Amino acid sequence: MLPFLLVSGLTTGALYALVAIGLVLVYRSTTHINFAHGELFMVGGFLAYTGVVILGWPYVPSLILAVIGTFILGIVSDRAIFRPLIHAPGLSMVLATVGFSFLLKGIGRLLWGGRGEFTSMPPIVDPSPIFLAGLPILPQQLVVLAAAVACMLALAAFFRGTTAGKSMQATAESTRASYLVGIRVERVYMYTWGAGAAIAAVAGCFMAPLTLLSPDIGFNLLLKAFAATILGGLGSMGGAVVGGFAVGIIESLAGGYVYTAFQDVSAFIVIIAVLVLRPQGLFGTRPAREA
Amino acid sequence: MLRVEGLSVWYGATEVLRNVGFTVPDGEIVALMGGNGAGKSTTLNALSGLLKPRGGAIKLGDRRIDGLHPHDVVMAGIVQVPQGRYVWPSMTVRDNLVLGAVTRRDKAGIARDIEAQLDLFPALRERQKVRAGALSGGQQQMVAIARALMARPKLLLMDEPSHGLSPKIVEEMIDIIRTLHKRGMTILLVEQNVGVAAALAGTAHVLRNGEIALTAPGGELLNNAQLLKSYLGR
Repeated sequence: MLPFLLVSGLTTGALYALVAIGLVLVYRSTTHINFAHGELFMVGGFLAYTGVVILGWPYVPSLILAVIGTFILGIVSDRAIFRPLIHAPGLSMVLATVGFSFLLKGIGRLLWGGRGEFTSMPPIVDPSPIFLAGLPILPQQLVVLAAAVACMLALAAFFRGTTAGKSMQATAESTRASYLVGIRVERVYMYTWGAGAAIAAVAGCFMAPLTLLSPDIGFNLLLKAFAATILGGLGSMGGAVVGGFAVGIIESLAGGYVYTAFQDVSAFIVIIAVLVLRPQGLFGTRPAREA
Repeated sequence: MLRVEGLSVWYGATEVLRNVGFTVPDGEIVALMGGNGAGKSTTLNALSGLLKPRGGAIKLGDRRIDGLHPHDVVMAGIVQVPQGRYVWPSMTVRDNLVLGAVTRRDKAGIARDIEAQLDLFPALRERQKVRAGALSGGQQQMVAIARALMARPKLLLMDEPSHGLSPKIVEEMIDIIRTLHKRGMTILLVEQNVGVAAALAGTAHVLRNGEIALTAPGGELLNNAQLLKSYLGR
């Protein structure tokens, strides 16, 4: 049973890692936790559902629809809600993102609700298991894992190789220096909100066929991603990846060996344990930002 | 080059700059001095567009630049080397320089200018791929200056380039600024160190309580050491 649990833990872990990366991306750049991040994941999943099920599109165009749709949603939310609050106290931003999450949940229920408690999504590839070294593995799990890793590598290349990526990195490290060399910091923030949302949508698209969709799914995902970032060290990209995989595996093992209901509680236990034992997380340092 | 007229800046209900006026002529080094809280950094931040002045005008040549976004100030030709350097610590020295040219699109020119900065600061050449945060304070100051030069400024604002550096490195900084001056760079230098200002500046303005209290040729600063002390609050 152990290899099976590990494979399934790695798969969900990869998706948690993606959601966590988006959370960290926004946090590093703007120092705000986006409490609507889980809802962006949900919207991404449902946009893919709209493409695949309602419009009957193939999977890839549906994925593109979800990514572009949430990217625009992220940018609109920045212009409408977050930028006006750029100099407001942190608590205002917390409330704004929480409020935005309720708004998205409401829109989700309006557009995609009323289809039963959960909406299922057809599998991306043939759902029958294949056997690798005697292990039954769902091809879908491999696809998800590969897509998540590809997404992470693409992001790493973006940060290292492009001026836009470096500008994001620079804004995260020193806003002041970024202003002074002429980086349009507000624009960087805008694209950061958009990119964070788009990454959440990718995770949503791949998660939907594995689990099920519901307009209320977002909070649970935010919680998992939050546990991952706390474990990895808030603000660390690598930490978010490792933390995401770890939370996925812990959860899978807890569900398999302890008790099924324990699965969802394990994220809480991770958060509490890390905060007590190692508050800065595995790879975290105190955020090195100017006052 | 730069003309500041009747500049007034408020933080909330407090007027931190009152009717500040001075000029920085083409190719000269002008020093702005004063004690802590006198308004030196506020003046630079207003020039860089980080603060919006409530009154007065800032002109670069014939163009009003007060109230512009920092990006547009850099595009207009004013670049600040901030106090405390503010390099991007986890990025390499080279990436720090590359981002200094973020407002430019001429790739070949940028590559040439990186080479020019590495010629000006040979110590940085061998450390191009080192994280800037791992450098010594003096080398970080070099990165900050080189990064500012990457934007091809007409006017360089330097906020206490000698701050927190050992006397030997301060001498090096003075040499570097002299070299820039010889190459025709116009510089507004904020300094608390009278020795540094006297060594470099053609003209020095002393700020006190947000107003210009004294203006003197740089060469005469050391003759008025006693007077200066009272203004600098030391």
